[in-house]
Amino acid sequence: MTITLEELAFRLNDHVTDEGTSFDALLMDNGVLEVVCSNNDEFPLHLALTDTQLLAVTPLFNISEVTPSEVENLNKVLLQLAPAVPLSAFGLQDDTYILFGAMALGTSFETIVHELEVQAENTIDVLEAIQSLLA
Amino acid sequence: MSILKDIFTAMRGGASEAGEAIVDANAIRILEQEIRDAETAIAKAKQSLTRLKSSEIKLKREINSLSTDYDDYEAKAIEALNVGEEALAEEVAGRLEEITVERDDKASEHSALESEVNGINKLIRSREKIIQKNKRELEKVKTIKEVQKATTSISDNVAATSSSQHRVSKALDRVKAKQQNWRDNMEAGEWMDDQEQGDDLDARLKQSGVGGSAGSKKNSILEKLKAKQKAG
Repeated sequence: MTITLEELAFRLNDHVTDEGTSFDALLMDNGVLEVVCSNNDEFPLHLALTDTQLLAVTPLFNISEVTPSEVENLNKVLLQLAPAVPLSAFGLQDDTYILFGAMALGTSFETIVHELEVQAENTIDVLEAIQSLLA
Repeated sequence: MSILKDIFTAMRGGASEAGEAIVDANAIRILEQEIRDAETAIAKAKQSLTRLKSSEIKLKREINSLSTDYDDYEAKAIEALNVGEEALAEEVAGRLEEITVERDDKASEHSALESEVNGINKLIRSREKIIQKNKRELEKVKTIKEVQKATTSISDNVAATSSSQHRVSKALDRVKAKQQNWRDNMEAGEWMDDQEQGDDLDARLKQSGVGGSAGSKKNSILEKLKAKQKAG
């Protein structure tokens, strides 16, 4: 079954995971679904659809927020950390470092919820790990 | 042509802020046109495949009927020989030769048709491959576009608030404080549960006369007295 962002928002707003995480999902004007997970309400996830994937993007920080002399180091560390981060990958979109996950469109609601919860958790872990390189 | 290479070139050229235009619009048009061309080619190929298949079925039927004829005449020739009609049998043999020639013609026509069908199937498969490959390429473009969209909306938020220093650290501190708070609440909840269960246990003990209340002491003294009385 292929899910739409509207349906997803509707179901997320009504859902609490076994770990007690709840969601606050809001469809924005540009068609992107903003999801705030209660386990990390400072760094929301933004969901978008393509023809075959559901994309989950969490912007982490702007390159201007990195200590200038540490940018190169940060890039290397992120590449080294990447394999250890479950279900999400790092990316750089324009000047914004992002954490993102991609799911097939047929993914079940339960799996989507799990991935979002993990990505929200990963966000904190990653930021804590590289915090010392930020300005 | 590869979209990833296109993106790489655009980024090397410093076009990372160029938004959607990072992928050459022309490249997308070419991919889409190739998909349409391949789809048209497949539709045409499927039409000729239907036509060829019906010729093939017809030929097969004709070959089968010639084989039946052959068997039939062969039996008749043997029968003619059996009754000594050698001249008649010779005539039938001539007929059998005609049938054989005709059947061989049809058989070679059939195998030519078969290889044509195979060729068309191969063409369809190769066109389908093009369609899938191009769709994957287009999916990359779409993905970049959507990630850009999903990031931009937040970048605006970040830009609006990043005037303050240590934005990430402050946000992390807030999240961690909330999580600690949540854990404390959980712990408090568990403590409360333990208390309630503890109270309940005491109540039950008291009810069954276990655990040092005045009443129970009196009872046990009485029991001892009774035991003494029996012994004495």
